[in-house]
Amino acid sequence: MSKTLQGITLKGSAELVAEFFSFGINSILYQRGIYPAETFSRVSEYDMSLQLTTDPKLKNYLTNVVTQLKEWLFDCTVQKLVVVITCLETNEVLERWQFDIECDKTAKEDSAPREKSMKAIQEEIRSVIRQITATVTFLPLLETACAFDLLIYTDKDLEVPEQWEESGPQLIDQSEEVRLRSFTTSIHKVNSMVAYKRTNSM
Amino acid sequence: MAEGEVEWELCKENIQPLRCGRDISALHQALSQQQEGTTSAINQQKQAFELELRMYDGDDPLDVWDRYIKWIEQTYPQGGKESGLNLLLERAVMKFTEEKKYHNDSRYVNLWIKFTESCPDPLDVYRYMQAQGIGTLQASFYIAWSEEYEKRGNSRMADSIFQEGFKCGAESLDRLQQFHKALQARVCRQMMTSVIDQETDDEPDEPQRASLNELKAKGKKKAVAPINRATGTVGYARGLQFKQPVGPSQNSRLMIFDENKEHPEPQEHKLESWAARPTAKAKENEQKPDKWTNVKLPQKSRFGHSVVAPPPKPNFQPFVEESDQPPVVTPCKINPAVNNVLSARRPRREEQTPLKRLQEMQLQQEDEDKSGEKSMYCKELLLSGVTEFSFEELRAERYRQKRSQRLEAASIDANNQEEPHTSQKD
Repeated sequence: MSKTLQGITLKGSAELVAEFFSFGINSILYQRGIYPAETFSRVSEYDMSLQLTTDPKLKNYLTNVVTQLKEWLFDCTVQKLVVVITCLETNEVLERWQFDIECDKTAKEDSAPREKSMKAIQEEIRSVIRQITATVTFLPLLETACAFDLLIYTDKDLEVPEQWEESGPQLIDQSEEVRLRSFTTSIHKVNSMVAYKRTNSM
Repeated sequence: MAEGEVEWELCKENIQPLRCGRDISALHQALSQQQEGTTSAINQQKQAFELELRMYDGDDPLDVWDRYIKWIEQTYPQGGKESGLNLLLERAVMKFTEEKKYHNDSRYVNLWIKFTESCPDPLDVYRYMQAQGIGTLQASFYIAWSEEYEKRGNSRMADSIFQEGFKCGAESLDRLQQFHKALQARVCRQMMTSVIDQETDDEPDEPQRASLNELKAKGKKKAVAPINRATGTVGYARGLQFKQPVGPSQNSRLMIFDENKEHPEPQEHKLESWAARPTAKAKENEQKPDKWTNVKLPQKSRFGHSVVAPPPKPNFQPFVEESDQPPVVTPCKINPAVNNVLSARRPRREEQTPLKRLQEMQLQQEDEDKSGEKSMYCKELLLSGVTEFSFEELRAERYRQKRSQRLEAASIDANNQEEPHTSQKD
């Protein structure tokens, strides 16, 4: 079975991508100060140190989302995941982190594992998370207390699970958009992008 | 786009984060221009702004300054001296201190806040602003001031600044309240965590040795250790504090001065007279002008110690060995009399904070008004902004403006004639 060790299956890919989102969302929440820094603890993952929340409610919520996401990734029905950061007082959308997910649906029928080493994938994931951290160089300071929301775009005909509800896209008008790096497991490809309110300076 | 992406990430350490965020396209442009070393475009635009500062004759001169400063912020991502931002901010802020109409203009107040952040003594500047009535009706002023206090850990003053803001009826009230609430939340959380910390710290302290205390007698022998261990007069001065009665107060600790606890900055509410001229310098021991030739040095008796006579010449010849030659002095180009080369370069601006300069400038202006001195050239125009202009440049610009106006008029007159446009090029 040395071949499966080398390659990657749909299930493995779904797990990898879901894991990326769990760390990625935690990273965003920490970097952007949505939750106080004291409630995070440091873990080592992908050969780098990352911050994971210790807040039980948030942890629970994120696990729920990620488990659900994993299912959808496995079914190849998810198109986008968006982290929306809104001002707590005015509900204005201030930042929008969008992760476009391209699924290779042929992987569903054809169960043969793809050739891509775990190391290469992790390397790509690492650079995405690094870039998330680096975005503080141009993002505006979030001056007010903020809340976040997760939106998941799926294929149209999908049933909405109980804990989920339909929502609008929550776009920012007059936004500045910056593409970040992308990574692929050769089954799922994730393109990331951050949008923020444009400054009125120019 | 793909290359630009890499670029900002590679330079991320050299990009100063801005409160209002960065325009990503401007950032890319600035970074790529920097890498190629083509600063001519930037310089051209800078020159254009400088020109506009001088030639502007609308009724909102602040607008140009505001745009110029924002452009600088975006164009020089690493900040630093070459951007000239601090100087520009200082000039902008000083230029309009007299203009009452701008005092509560949000743009002007924001410039002040940016300027303040670059000052070594922000609190003083905020107090100065309040005394001058700059930004006293703007919520952002109180928010920035309070943040400064919070940064220093003085949350009580931070709170009282907000109260001040509420009292003055600063706009917008919502924003002020929102930030005030956030401050309260932060302080609460801080207190909670510190309480928890204390609880965990409450375990009995390990016995610690108190310094400068008496030695305790140990064992059955109750002999008191000698207090004054140093003998003679040297130890006497230090021994003074040991003269207290030996008794129960053995373990009394030293009082440690805590500036935060005891004296919550007594100068806090001295707001008056920032712009006032400082009173004549309080000099002491001044000597009256006198004729020096009449002065005799008081000479004391032979046995007094104030007579300083030069040592008499020895009445013998000091022996010098024949082979001994005067030490060879290595040739040295620097005049040995000038030995303060290094100390002469001490930066003098250190002690001159921007605030002081600001006050000095105001005083200077008053002086000029009083003495009736007046520079008979357009000093302001030459020295506005961060670069200096020459008369010729100004004249050329006026000429250019007039000509383009004339050409426009001519082209309108002569309808669709192409010629004026071609002649414009030379």
